[in-house]
Amino acid sequence: MRKSSGELKILVIEDNPGDFILIEDYLSEEHNALELQRAETFKSAKEILQASSNFDTILLDLSLPDINDTEILVKEILALSNAAPVVVLTGYTDKDYGAKTLSWGVSDYLLKDEINASNLSKSIHYSMERKKVQRQLYESEEKYRTLFDSSPLPMWVLDRHSLEFLSVNQAAIKLYGYSREEFLQMTVRDLWAEEGDRIEKVVEENFHDLFTVKVKHFTKGGDTLYIDVQSNPILFGGREARVTLAHNVTEKLKAEEKLKHSQQRFKALVQDGSDLIKILDENFYYAYVSPSSKNILGIKPENLEGRDAFELIHLDDRAKIQEQIQYLGKKKTIQLPSYRYRDGNGEWRWLETIISDLRHDPAVNGLVANSRDITKFKLQEKQLRESLERYDIVAKATSDLITDYNIEKDVFQYSNAIYDIFGYSQNELRASKKWWQEQIHPDDRLRVVEATNAIYERGQKLLSIEYRFQCSDGDYKYVLDRSYVITDDSGNPSRIIGSIQDITERRKYINAIERSNERLREIAWTQSHVVRAPLARIMGLIDLLKNQRNNLDNIEEIIDNILNSSKELDKVIRKITNKTEEEF
Amino acid sequence: MLEVIIVDDDQIVVFIQKKMVTNHEIAINPISFHDAAAALDYIIGEKQGKQRKNFLILLDINMPNMNGWDFLDCLENHEEKSNYHVIMVTSSIDNKDKKKAKKYSTVRSFIEKPISTSDCEKIKEISEISHFFERV
Repeated sequence: MRKSSGELKILVIEDNPGDFILIEDYLSEEHNALELQRAETFKSAKEILQASSNFDTILLDLSLPDINDTEILVKEILALSNAAPVVVLTGYTDKDYGAKTLSWGVSDYLLKDEINASNLSKSIHYSMERKKVQRQLYESEEKYRTLFDSSPLPMWVLDRHSLEFLSVNQAAIKLYGYSREEFLQMTVRDLWAEEGDRIEKVVEENFHDLFTVKVKHFTKGGDTLYIDVQSNPILFGGREARVTLAHNVTEKLKAEEKLKHSQQRFKALVQDGSDLIKILDENFYYAYVSPSSKNILGIKPENLEGRDAFELIHLDDRAKIQEQIQYLGKKKTIQLPSYRYRDGNGEWRWLETIISDLRHDPAVNGLVANSRDITKFKLQEKQLRESLERYDIVAKATSDLITDYNIEKDVFQYSNAIYDIFGYSQNELRASKKWWQEQIHPDDRLRVVEATNAIYERGQKLLSIEYRFQCSDGDYKYVLDRSYVITDDSGNPSRIIGSIQDITERRKYINAIERSNERLREIAWTQSHVVRAPLARIMGLIDLLKNQRNNLDNIEEIIDNILNSSKELDKVIRKITNKTEEEF
Repeated sequence: MLEVIIVDDDQIVVFIQKKMVTNHEIAINPISFHDAAAALDYIIGEKQGKQRKNFLILLDINMPNMNGWDFLDCLENHEEKSNYHVIMVTSSIDNKDKKKAKKYSTVRSFIEKPISTSDCEKIKEISEISHFFERV
């Protein structure tokens, strides 16, 4: 047999000097570099082992003087062996006994009678080799156990049939909140937060295969977890098992959900919002146009993108926009004056636009133009302006004084006719109701104030009244005041719009007519009384003459009276004629 | 009895009316006044003297000082006004005067001058005084 190289350090625990010499001889035969140490008692063996721990092999005789219990002997020596293989030498021929010592952990078992140099050396070498492999295996197992236990990813091992937990790692304990002991009483089904049919099916179909599945789990505390499961079939302690990697994607899903919402919000704002959002490059060409252009302009975004932004702007409006955009670069945002823009139907729409300079933002790299359709507003503005202009023109064109009285503030506003009619200049006016009433002729004032009360107290809407109003020079003018009451939302009078017409001329004319009527009435009365008096006399006298002639004493006198009455009648008629011819 | 009084400022009218009243037997000797105030004094004085005397008054409207309307106003306030029977006699053909006259309870009739035969006959038929003219 080949002599083994390398020094071999061996402890021989043997009380019998003959046996020791024999062993020494056998070993020397096979090994050149051999360092033998001998312990004659269990006690000295222990002392040697405690002092030195670098033996390659320990040879142990089971019959020692200071110990009877071989089991204690073997186990104590093994405990002190420091991973060196222990080979038992014995005189017993009982094979079962030898097997027993093997189960305690010894590496080999040799009968003294059968020992020779060759088999002793072989046993020592095999034992050493086996021990080395065992250590490597142990270390490897230890390495994998550490990998499993301290993996940051939650992992567990399940029985492939019952899905009971056989082992769980620290990360799983931390994630789910169950203790290791609790886990080992559970099956993986206890984690499921949904109907298990789908998962059972996956597990069943891939009984001997790797599978991945997305599942929803509950923690011990009731929180929901979204888990990407990856599961491999293994043999675990001889059982059909599977090792499962549980990748917690809850946070990731939440983040994705958030991102999705944020994107939807953005989409809603840009697509369905009432604003039109465009990104322009430095040369004012559209780089992006929001989908809302379809709704607002009736033009699809893709039909605008790449085109000159000025192309569809009304020619007359381009200059004022050019004037504003020269400030780009100096100001972050620029509000453009409203301009007309040709829509998909060829009609002009009014847009109001704010430009934000985001050329330095790499995500945008351009000018963001935010436009709003203000066509409707513009139309209303135009109508309002026209209506105001109309009011102004009417106020100027009419010779009437237009007043606007604000009831709450007690302030009158007057058109310029206040000067034309009454001689008051706008700046010397006191515009209160009190002032107005003071200018009314004292004989008319009470009547006007009472009529005005109808507005405040009885909700009258229209007032038409004549009165005299004092001018700045103290004279009075006759006016026809027609007022219209404007009510607020709750129906209370808020303003009174008045149209004051100077009717002095008309009033004078009416007065003249009234005077002339008076005169005509006088004439009529005169006709009725003065004219008819002498006539009636004449008629009465003639009646007497005709019917009572026999009863009359002095007919001459009667005839004279007739004549006198006739003359009187003539005089009256001449007087009437003269009066009629008088100038009115 | 019924006393007839003529109130008119016009001499000739009084003359004509006296003739007509006597000839148609309304009164034998009517009393006349040129001034309404004097007539009023007379009527009220008479009343104090004799009891239950009725007056038929032919009253002109248009007179100086107290006119016919003033005279009527005074009568209207008088206790014995049911004994006064006024015939308005006026040269006016104004309807307004007629309407105004109707408002006075003492006015029985309205005659436009000159007083005619038929006017006199109608006076006698006025219900309040017709009993004075019944032939016995």
